[in-house]
Amino acid sequence: MRTGHAIAAAVLLALVSGSIVRGQSGQPVSNVPTITGAWEPMRGGPGAPAPTPPSAIVLKAPYAAEWQAKRAAQDEATKKGEPLATLGSECLPYGMPTMMAVANYPMEILQTPGQVTLVTEVHSEVRRVFLDRPQMKLEEVPPGYSGRSVGRWEGDTLVIDTVGIDPKVAGYQSLPHSPQLRITERIRLVAPDILNDQITLDDPVVLEKPVTYTLAYRRLPKYEMVEFVCDNNREYTDDKGVVRMKVLEK
Amino acid sequence: MRSPSMSSRLMVVFAALVLSSGPLGAHHSFAMFDSANKTTISGTVTKFEWTNPHVFIEVDVPGTKGDVKHWSVELGSPSILLRSGWKFTDVKPGDKITAILNPLRDGRPGGMLYRLTLPDGTMRGNGTAPPADPPATRSAP
Repeated sequence: MRTGHAIAAAVLLALVSGSIVRGQSGQPVSNVPTITGAWEPMRGGPGAPAPTPPSAIVLKAPYAAEWQAKRAAQDEATKKGEPLATLGSECLPYGMPTMMAVANYPMEILQTPGQVTLVTEVHSEVRRVFLDRPQMKLEEVPPGYSGRSVGRWEGDTLVIDTVGIDPKVAGYQSLPHSPQLRITERIRLVAPDILNDQITLDDPVVLEKPVTYTLAYRRLPKYEMVEFVCDNNREYTDDKGVVRMKVLEK
Repeated sequence: MRSPSMSSRLMVVFAALVLSSGPLGAHHSFAMFDSANKTTISGTVTKFEWTNPHVFIEVDVPGTKGDVKHWSVELGSPSILLRSGWKFTDVKPGDKITAILNPLRDGRPGGMLYRLTLPDGTMRGNGTAPPADPPATRSAP
């Protein structure tokens, strides 16, 4: 009986603590939630959970002045009806972390052994999260749009560490960033069909302190992701860096 | 297919996209379009581009003096349109259509679709159900 109680207690402890139990194949068989499927960013509206306020954004000098000037220029251009070009307007990838929520375009999550893959509908961007592998040193990761991501399940939460985001990739709220940017995500089901991604940006060169904000997604059962190849971009950038729509003559 | 409530939510989101150039961050800002005013054009479709990042309808619009002016009408992406009931076969060259649009602010003959009326009288929105009549529209200049 004592042995039985001990096993029951261990199982209970594993369930409560969320530790991963592995089967003979080495694959997790525990309470890792199923998040495979299509998800739509939620931006308020009926049924949306109350948004978690983002943390304050405090930049180090001179980045603060540079960032404010950039935002002011963007605002002024927008008021004039002459929006400035972005990676998105030029059909380049949004990259991390912007790609995690672009308008209401869905994102597909795929859980396979050893990897979680995220595929966004807009621009068909792909992120691969390698599970239970060490992160490389910052200087070993070539800069790119989505960087290198490793992850692990902590109970019901998928914790992802991402480095290697090219400084040319636009940041949250147009924040600049250095090659030392590190993104930590905590992805968790907060309801059966509602997923949260708490994103923390830590950049000791640019930021006085990490910036944290949370995205919410709604599950889209049976949604079929749509092809999105940006091969007819009629928005061009003029010599002032303004986005304009190409009007045909006939 | 999505439920009506999902369509309603999409309407809200897309309306926000059209009206805002803010942090929603669609493919490009919509600030190039005049969100406060609408223009109505009627004419013959010369081309229908079901493409990314945007769908376009090209229209020859007859003037009052026998002249013809060409207009380019931008829509959302195929993804956005599919979710609001569009099909890629909904518009064909030769179709007589009427489009209400938010015109380009720089005055060139182009704009972002608000509502389309097809030859058989049925209507399409731009990522939404067909919206109600706007308060007023201007005829194409």
